[in-house]
Amino acid sequence: MSGESATASAGKRKRTETGDKSKKRRKSGGVDGGDLQTQLQKLEAEILESRKHYNNVATLIELAQKKADDVSTAQAASETLCRVFIRLLALGNLVKRKDASEKEATVTTWLRERLADFREVLLSMFDNEKLALQALMLAMALLKAEAQHLDDKPEAIFPRYFFSEIINSIIQSPVDELRETFAENFIDEYDDIRFYTFEAIKDFLGRGDEVDEAIREVVFDMLLGVEEVPDSNDDIDAFYVEPPNKKKHPLRSLSQHKKQAQEAWLAFMRMGLSKEQRKKILAAVSTTIAPWFTKPELLMDFMTDCYNAGGSTSLLALSGVFYLIQERNLDYPEFYTKLYSLLDADILHSKHRSRFFRLLDTFLGSSHLPAVMVASFIKRLARLALNAPPSAIVVIVPWFYNLFKRHPLTTFMMHRVPRTKEEKELIESEGAADPFLPFEQDPMETRAIDSCLWEIVQLQSHYHPNVATIAKIISEQFTKQSYKMEDFLDHSYGSLLEAEMTKEVKKPPVVEFMIPKHIYTKAGPEEEQQDSLLVSLWDFGSS
Amino acid sequence: MAGSQLKRLKSSLREQGIIGPQKSKKQRRQNAQDQKATNDKRVQRHEALASIREQFNPFQFKTNARGPKFEVTTSKPLTAREAMGINGRPGLTKAVGEERRRETLLVEMQRRNKVGGLIDRRFGEDDPHMSLEDKMIERYTREQQRAHKKGSMFDLEEDDDEQMGGLTHGGRPLFDDDDDVLPKDDFDGEDIPSGDESDNSHAERRVLKRQRLEEALEAAAEQEEGQPDRKKTKKEIYEEIIAKSKLHKLERQEAKEEDNELREEIDEAMGELRSLLFSRQKPGAKDAKDANGTLTVAGKDQATLDREYDVQVRKMAADKRAQPADRTKTDEEMIADAANRLKELEEQRLARMRGMAVEEEEEEEEGGKKKKKRASNDEDLDMMDAEEEEDQFGLGSGIKSNTKYRPTATELGFDDEDDFLIDDDLVASGSELEFDSDDMDEEESDDEDGSGSGSASDSEDDEFTKGLLTEAESKAGVFRLPTTTKGNDANGVPYEFPCPQTHEEILETFKPIAVPSLPVAVQRIRALYHPKLDSRNKERLGNFSQALVRHVAYLGDRFEPEWFPTLEGLTRHVHSLAKTFPIEVAKGYRAVIQEMDQERPLALTVGDLVTLTAVGTTFPTSDHFHQVVTPGMLVVARYLSQKIPRDLSDYATGVYLSILALQFQQFSKRYVPEVMNFCLNTLCALSHEKPRKDLGFFPIHEPAAGIRIKSASKTVVRKLNCGDCQQPEQARSIEDANSLKIAIISTTVSVLKSAADTWHKHPAFYETFSPALLVLQSYLSKSNSVHIPSSLNVKVTETSSALTRLLQISQLSRRPLELHHHRPVAIRTYVPKFEDSFDPNKHYDPDRERAEMAKLKAEHKRERKGALRELRKDNAFMARENLRIKKEKDAAYEKKYKRLVAEIQGTEGQAANEYAREKEARKRKAGRR
Repeated sequence: MSGESATASAGKRKRTETGDKSKKRRKSGGVDGGDLQTQLQKLEAEILESRKHYNNVATLIELAQKKADDVSTAQAASETLCRVFIRLLALGNLVKRKDASEKEATVTTWLRERLADFREVLLSMFDNEKLALQALMLAMALLKAEAQHLDDKPEAIFPRYFFSEIINSIIQSPVDELRETFAENFIDEYDDIRFYTFEAIKDFLGRGDEVDEAIREVVFDMLLGVEEVPDSNDDIDAFYVEPPNKKKHPLRSLSQHKKQAQEAWLAFMRMGLSKEQRKKILAAVSTTIAPWFTKPELLMDFMTDCYNAGGSTSLLALSGVFYLIQERNLDYPEFYTKLYSLLDADILHSKHRSRFFRLLDTFLGSSHLPAVMVASFIKRLARLALNAPPSAIVVIVPWFYNLFKRHPLTTFMMHRVPRTKEEKELIESEGAADPFLPFEQDPMETRAIDSCLWEIVQLQSHYHPNVATIAKIISEQFTKQSYKMEDFLDHSYGSLLEAEMTKEVKKPPVVEFMIPKHIYTKAGPEEEQQDSLLVSLWDFGSS
Repeated sequence: MAGSQLKRLKSSLREQGIIGPQKSKKQRRQNAQDQKATNDKRVQRHEALASIREQFNPFQFKTNARGPKFEVTTSKPLTAREAMGINGRPGLTKAVGEERRRETLLVEMQRRNKVGGLIDRRFGEDDPHMSLEDKMIERYTREQQRAHKKGSMFDLEEDDDEQMGGLTHGGRPLFDDDDDVLPKDDFDGEDIPSGDESDNSHAERRVLKRQRLEEALEAAAEQEEGQPDRKKTKKEIYEEIIAKSKLHKLERQEAKEEDNELREEIDEAMGELRSLLFSRQKPGAKDAKDANGTLTVAGKDQATLDREYDVQVRKMAADKRAQPADRTKTDEEMIADAANRLKELEEQRLARMRGMAVEEEEEEEEGGKKKKKRASNDEDLDMMDAEEEEDQFGLGSGIKSNTKYRPTATELGFDDEDDFLIDDDLVASGSELEFDSDDMDEEESDDEDGSGSGSASDSEDDEFTKGLLTEAESKAGVFRLPTTTKGNDANGVPYEFPCPQTHEEILETFKPIAVPSLPVAVQRIRALYHPKLDSRNKERLGNFSQALVRHVAYLGDRFEPEWFPTLEGLTRHVHSLAKTFPIEVAKGYRAVIQEMDQERPLALTVGDLVTLTAVGTTFPTSDHFHQVVTPGMLVVARYLSQKIPRDLSDYATGVYLSILALQFQQFSKRYVPEVMNFCLNTLCALSHEKPRKDLGFFPIHEPAAGIRIKSASKTVVRKLNCGDCQQPEQARSIEDANSLKIAIISTTVSVLKSAADTWHKHPAFYETFSPALLVLQSYLSKSNSVHIPSSLNVKVTETSSALTRLLQISQLSRRPLELHHHRPVAIRTYVPKFEDSFDPNKHYDPDRERAEMAKLKAEHKRERKGALRELRKDNAFMARENLRIKKEKDAAYEKKYKRLVAEIQGTEGQAANEYAREKEARKRKAGRR
């Protein structure tokens, strides 16, 4: 449409405006399912035909607003509207021009207001379960069109305000599916959407007003869902809206992306975290979250707090703290003391056991650690092994073996010959008391190095044959260089049982030679046989 | 050497004695007389000349420029060639090559592009003088020659003997050509000498041959005498060899001749000999030889005799050998035997407990031999060690290594029913009489009134099988199905059953039978389907026992308190079946255990408890590894460790399992950490006050609401029963709950006590049980003790004091660990590998394939080079030949051309002359005129 004809038709439209409006309204009042489609098509055609029908836009918006009572109408209307607006935007009808006449300016302003109305309608649709997905698609299509054509510039400008409105609505929407779709189709796909999402979330959280728990959870999931950090600036190449041409634009720089992500995360963490969220963050910190940070040091306080919290939170924080120590030169005083305190009664029963042992193996991997401290770790774990499930014992003992190999001083815990005569006499008369102090906090002070590993020797007669065999390795010659920990880490009652049960019985098993006279009943007084433990402690109703 | 070539030649000729000062006439005559020497001299002279010729041709030899590469000292004298370091004779090789090419390549070249033709191999075609007979003779000789060439290139022996292709048998000629006895045509006979040269007799030839040989030998001997130093020529050497071989042949032939003569003599005397021989044999059977000459013995002919003999032999083979009967043993001996047997079984159990191989012993025992060949402990450990190395302790899959050492019931000798019975005789000595006379009713009563007639039905081994077999025998003389009894007995148990194969079938079959009479029903099924009665019964009973295992669990789930004697009876039946069908029963139990593991690892039912108990009694729980017990123990431990009890019934189940786990370990005293955890946790959970944190390193689960005990001091302490393990449909009343709680506490304390008794020998007993002591003491604190009855208080006090005592003892008896008094491991040594006859030129590649490859490559390279060289030479030869042919052609052409030119010139000259003459004549004529 050329500029001249546009102005000419604008004049006509002004005149016919009122009459048209009333007509259309009347028509639209009698809308029913059958000719809805045709009517919408007609309205759309008219709008595109000439300017005088622009009021149809208002009619359509009205139709779209009635989402509560008529879903299909609202759907169809909003779809039509979206098409119309995209067409209009593409034609440049919404562009404010300096040289435009007053009338034209009025039309543009009016159209822009209608566009704002339509946005509102779309965003309000996000709360409706049936409409949400379509509304999201329309909103995103509109966003793209706006970016391209709302201003009279050759470059696309990302409509940040509209986008942050979208994000806010998405966050507050009760529809979970909506968020999933958004994450899948937009955040994961397009780098710029991700960039602006982080920004929007940061703004949303940074507004300072109280955010309730459910929404926090939603934001958390969204943030956590963003994976795959791009490797370099060149990796950022998927754009939803045409990207700016400037090379230096923040959208094209990885560090800017990271910065946005980091700020979003920090904003989120400032809100305060529940215990569950904390654990989730800790679990993901080194794999998903930390790579997004340009300055992971910012996580230090968080991590150390978590690490000091104790319990399973500490366990989970361990890997993050380690990451910081290793990569970011975090100075954590008394790290080993803290690590030692993590070895409590529950650690061997914890489901994070194998994860913890992998880390522990790394921490105690250095041969430069003081043997006294290593001995403390060994002794403490040996104590714990007395109450541990077989799958844990199976990890501990080969690990001990590796430590003994690495720190030969600790082998005195397996082999201690009394050297003086007095010492020998003392042991003869009073027995060997364990000098180990089990409740001492400092691993350098436990006196474990002077103790012996009676616990492991006891486990050599463990009820499970394989555990017993493994426990025997410490009393055999240390001919092997080291054991591979990975072979022992992931076992459980289930896997042990499965290993037994998958084997077919081929050889006839041994059967007890004597058939016992009594299993549940008591032996008669004239019999010499003693009651079994079971019969004497349990009531089988026969006595 | 100085001087010109000619001078050098002269001097060397003189040195060799070929030229010299002229000999006088006398000398020459003498030489001529010396006939023998002449020949030799000529040879010598010839050799000397050849060597001189060689010496003076600098291109004759290819030598190393700097002499031989290595100085070598050998015992063999060096040949001239070796001394000079001659590598080859290029001239000679070239000549040979050229010659060969001329023979092959040149021929081919000439024939090239020419039409091939026939080679006429006929003879005498173009010779009109040859008669037909001559042609035949010629053909025959050629054939003979061809045959001769093929086989006997190196055949020294046959060269002058007649070439008789002849008939053979088994590779040997039919007629030995030296055998004079063989029939021959009279024409060929020796005694008629024929004038024909071709029919030269053998004898003559032999004589000739001998003469020749002798001559040759003499000559050789003379030569040796004459010139001992001179080396023999090759020809001479070969001649010698030929002569020798001929001599040997001659000797052989002579020996053979002698043999033949002897044989002839014997042949002549054969008639007499034969009569002598047969006259000896005949007197036994006078008229044995009938007219036909067939032999008969004792009036029967040969065939009948053979048949009878065969029958006799077969009978003897079928005869059973007499076996010595077992001596009847005295009572004392029988008791001693039984005791021995028990002792052996105990030893085996101990071996299994240590996880050692018992197989060999088992086998020996089966054979009834007493020699003990115990696998040494160390060896055994080493083996296990090696296996561990391989499969990393078999956590995932390595437990196979252990199963290898399991002895089997078969090996124990229980597989065969007969053995079973013999065992029975040995062990259950008292039961024999009763069961021979009485039938099952006796047993029924026994099972019904439980312990009442316990001693009467001495169930040492298998009263079941015992009774049933005799019963079956009494009912039917031979083993057959007892079909006579029908209907039901007094308890409503029918006498006849189908043999249920699955658990569903069992349910169907046992539906009409009251639970307490089930053992009787099982008993009857076992009797009806005794393996001796039918070959298929074994399989049937196997399936039945498997299903029965499941049925016991099924009954356990629906238990009534008074059913336990029945369950016991059934379990014992299963046990006795397990002796016959160990695999089936084990599979049955394992299936139930697997079901527990997969469907309800943390919600075990009473049926599961019953099954686990049965596992504990049926199989030896003290074994280091057992296919059924180990998984069962894992299921128990899993429940104890992972179940976080919510209800009192969970605690009760746990307590039952703790008792069970402890009972499993009564003999082997293995440590079960889960029992400790569970007991301590239970006590902490039930105590009135929340216990302190620092009791020990066992995990404490916070109990659900209403679990902690409160004001139950008036409750009577009772025992737990299986009903307590089930979650009640409606909530328990406070009294019931309190009573149950007290029962749980009381039982747990007892379990702790017996656990302490079981494990007090362990080195870490102090560490293990000091938390238990702390927990018990916390019960004795004022705030707790008011809530529990005084009798329980007393019990706790007693237990804790007993524990204190045990702890003290263990503390005193503990010694520092000295685990590593091992002998130092020697560094591994290897015997170095020596090559006996090392050759630096050979390649000693240990990798066979690589060595072969290298060899092949080298050969290929060599061959390739050779082929290239040959081709190049061929090309040169061809070029040369072509050039030669062309030159010849050109020369011929030139010659012809010249001839023609000369001819023409001649004619021209003649014509010119004629013309000149004519001109002259005319001129003269004209002049005349």
